[in-house]
Amino acid sequence: MEASLERKYNFDVVRWFTVMAVVYLVVGASVGVYIAAELAWPALNLDSPYLSFGRLRPLHTNAVIFAFGGCTLMATAFYTVQRTCGARLWSDKMAWFTFWGWNLVIVLAVITLPLGLTQSKEYAELEWPVDILIAVVWLSFTINFVMTIANRKSSHIYVSNWFFLGMMIMIVYLHVVNSLAIPVGLFKSYSIFSGVQDAMIQWWWGHNAVGFYLTAGFLGIMYYFVPKQAGRPIYSYRLSVIHFWALMFGYVWLGAHHLQYTALPDWTGSLGAAVSIAMIIPSWGGAVNGMMTLSGAWDRLRTDYVLRFLIIALAFYAMSTFEGPVMSLKTVNALSHYTDWTIGHVHSGALGWVAGISIGAIYHLMTRLYHTEMFSVRLINFHFWTATIGTVIYIVAMWVSGIMQGLMWRAYDEYGTLAYTFVESVDAMHPYYAMRAVGGAIFLLGAIVMLFNILMTVRKSLSEGSLSKARALPAAA
Amino acid sequence: MSSLSDHLQTDWQAMTTNDWIGTILTVVVFLLMVGAYFYVFRPKNREKLEAMKHIPFEEDNEHTGDPHGRK
Repeated sequence: MEASLERKYNFDVVRWFTVMAVVYLVVGASVGVYIAAELAWPALNLDSPYLSFGRLRPLHTNAVIFAFGGCTLMATAFYTVQRTCGARLWSDKMAWFTFWGWNLVIVLAVITLPLGLTQSKEYAELEWPVDILIAVVWLSFTINFVMTIANRKSSHIYVSNWFFLGMMIMIVYLHVVNSLAIPVGLFKSYSIFSGVQDAMIQWWWGHNAVGFYLTAGFLGIMYYFVPKQAGRPIYSYRLSVIHFWALMFGYVWLGAHHLQYTALPDWTGSLGAAVSIAMIIPSWGGAVNGMMTLSGAWDRLRTDYVLRFLIIALAFYAMSTFEGPVMSLKTVNALSHYTDWTIGHVHSGALGWVAGISIGAIYHLMTRLYHTEMFSVRLINFHFWTATIGTVIYIVAMWVSGIMQGLMWRAYDEYGTLAYTFVESVDAMHPYYAMRAVGGAIFLLGAIVMLFNILMTVRKSLSEGSLSKARALPAAA
Repeated sequence: MSSLSDHLQTDWQAMTTNDWIGTILTVVVFLLMVGAYFYVFRPKNREKLEAMKHIPFEEDNEHTGDPHGRK
């Protein structure tokens, strides 16, 4: 059936974004594994500033969040909006501008970050010329999406489009405000904010990058791809509407919980924590909504490996949206902040939820975009287990390491003297850092297998001629 | 804080314009959220909203005839 849609919709740009997402998953995870190994065995930085943890870490985060995550979001948003609105993308040229512009941003990140050109703002390290390019490309993505919705054939806008739209609008103003800076050269600028205001703006952006980009956007993916892969509609559409509005209203309050026990007024941290706790309700409502879509068809999980990715991602979503609010509470934060527990929490969301839902969606897309079966279903199964086992090893290592760090840093003797030096805590972390590198390497192995499977599927489609046959079919009504 | 009234005490005279804008927006957003809950969970709206869940399958239905778009 999908074949007859080939001429009705623009799937070419979706295909390119999809394949590039997998390439960037491998690149981003490779850098991640390398820097994880550097923390366990520091000699691996080879005394080169270009390979030091401080420079490669933002390259890793930018590659996985903006390169892999961004390409996945753009592929799925462009696919979903066409399929649910019954309308072709408003502008093919603008879609290609978005593709090449976004990839240019990624190339510039790969060049500038190892050179040490950075604004030093977390998840917003890129210097001002690249920031402007990001804003322009993101706006082209947003305008094309909005105009496609405006041209829709259906009266209602399906909920996944609401989530994508919420992400797009919020990211525009989060990115612009957080990146406001005074340039003093082509590669150097200073933020217009300073001191505690700078910290507040940074985490207003930082947590909303998580809330709107890594959560709302990927929930847009969930609300389309889970029902499609399961072959049954979402469990409760009403719950999805509440999920959307509660997320839009709630997430903007949370940033201050990153700044407990700092110069920020105490009440802002308390407010951030209170709303964080309240956010468990819509988050779990959404997770349950996705999982209950399988109600009456749980046996599908035995045989459908793509569905397994999507459902295990929802389990990680539920887990990390419970863990985050708990960590925002001041009593827990006093132990967890600045420790590896935070890194474990982030990766349970990033590897378990974001990567899991993306991988499931990409496998779903591949068969529909290339009009052929996957090259190997057994390799998808292998990938599922490597991704899951790798993620679990990673986050368990960081939980143990983080809690141990927190306890060692706060321990004192009967005279009130700290019981451990900082170096002793670093030394105690070594086994867990090695374990984290192993977990990441297992996850990376799965990503490499996925890339191989994807490329072989493209090759299979080309050799069968299924894509060209689909293009030759008359357009569906 | 010795009592609940101390805890809830507000110096209204010290409120700045920004404080008032923030306070009013917070109350408005809260009321909108209450309105959204009411609208969504009102039994009268159930059928209308739940019908939207089939949108992703509409194109499939045209070809398969299955109301759920299952292949």
